[in-house]
Amino acid sequence: MATRNPSKSERAAALLAEQERGERRRRLAVILGVVAVLALIAGLTWYAMSKDTSGQTTDAVPGNVKDYSVTVGDANAPTELTFYEDPQCPVCAQFEAAVGAQLKTAVDAGKVKVSYRMVSFLDKASANEYSSRAANAAYAVADQVGADGFYAFHELLYANQPAEGTAGPENAQLIDWAVQAGADKAKISPLINDKTFEQYVVNATDAMSKNNVTGTPTVFINGKKVDGGPQDAVNAVLEVIK
Amino acid sequence: MSSWFGLLARLITGGVWLVAGALKFADPAGAVRAVRAYELLPESVVPLVGHALPAVEMVIGLALILGIFTRWAAVLSGLLFLAFIIGIASAWSRGLQIDCGCFGGGGFDAKATDKYPWEIARDVALLALSLFLVLRPRSALSLDGFLNLQGPAGPATEGRSTRAQSVQP
Repeated sequence: MATRNPSKSERAAALLAEQERGERRRRLAVILGVVAVLALIAGLTWYAMSKDTSGQTTDAVPGNVKDYSVTVGDANAPTELTFYEDPQCPVCAQFEAAVGAQLKTAVDAGKVKVSYRMVSFLDKASANEYSSRAANAAYAVADQVGADGFYAFHELLYANQPAEGTAGPENAQLIDWAVQAGADKAKISPLINDKTFEQYVVNATDAMSKNNVTGTPTVFINGKKVDGGPQDAVNAVLEVIK
Repeated sequence: MSSWFGLLARLITGGVWLVAGALKFADPAGAVRAVRAYELLPESVVPLVGHALPAVEMVIGLALILGIFTRWAAVLSGLLFLAFIIGIASAWSRGLQIDCGCFGGGGFDAKATDKYPWEIARDVALLALSLFLVLRPRSALSLDGFLNLQGPAGPATEGRSTRAQSVQP
């Protein structure tokens, strides 16, 4: 009894020491691991922040555009419609096909004015960043030709919208359409080729999100958002201009 | 047997996090807009959440797949799934029609109301797998096991009590 006791406690002490060592090793590994994990998360977050230019101020602001809107029609028209649209958005093209012709008549008659807010978040649905290139080009045409030129260019964009996932029209085609809409080729070309209003388009998209607009097309009638789906937007617009 | 189920649970939850995080990480501005579309968080924290969330998701996913710090990764995984379930249920109950933005994207979705129940069911299942890993973090083919980070027996945080028992004379 008396001789076994020390050896038992010695064994226990050795076991304890070994476990303490294991425990220390694990504690060190956990501390290192936590530091590595936090550093990794911080690094990735920092990278995401640096890649996101939303809201950065830019000097390249297109003319004839106010608060990311190009307004077509009589400034004194009694009703103002506001459309948020992405050039690559298929539902926008369907919306334009459904209301475009009648709307143009109403605009020409001075019944309504339309503020187009071109945004771009669908480059992921294009093989060659058509969404942001076309939105940039639309602002460039507004800058060079004004609202009427923009209106014509906008119509050309939606009449020729590329299918999702494909490569959209190249810059040369956008320049051709801009010229059709009244732009001077030599002046419009650098604006489209250099994507001059790229940051402006990013900020327009950020502003859309901050206005609680989560998708396109979104329609406002005299500042009031039309809720529901795409067909509700079509119906609401046709109701206003009938 | 349960250690192989643990491996499966790790690969499923970890894989989902890694893919979901990477898809969001590719479009930081879109991730911020997707967070904002829930209309739950104050604007002052929306950009930070949008930028940090994909990073957190990818790191949790990596940890679960490798099986390192499994229990803690599973705790965070479970908390995040819980937060997403609450977020989606809240958007649904407020009549918002938004894509959950779970795998990138986000924003308006006309069919959102049909998708909400499935998204919640999916997240509940992933939450259950995460909880399993919190309770049974020891699994096959894990770095925790390989590096012996889990203590002599039982899950890591039970190491202390296990030791106390084993040295009792």
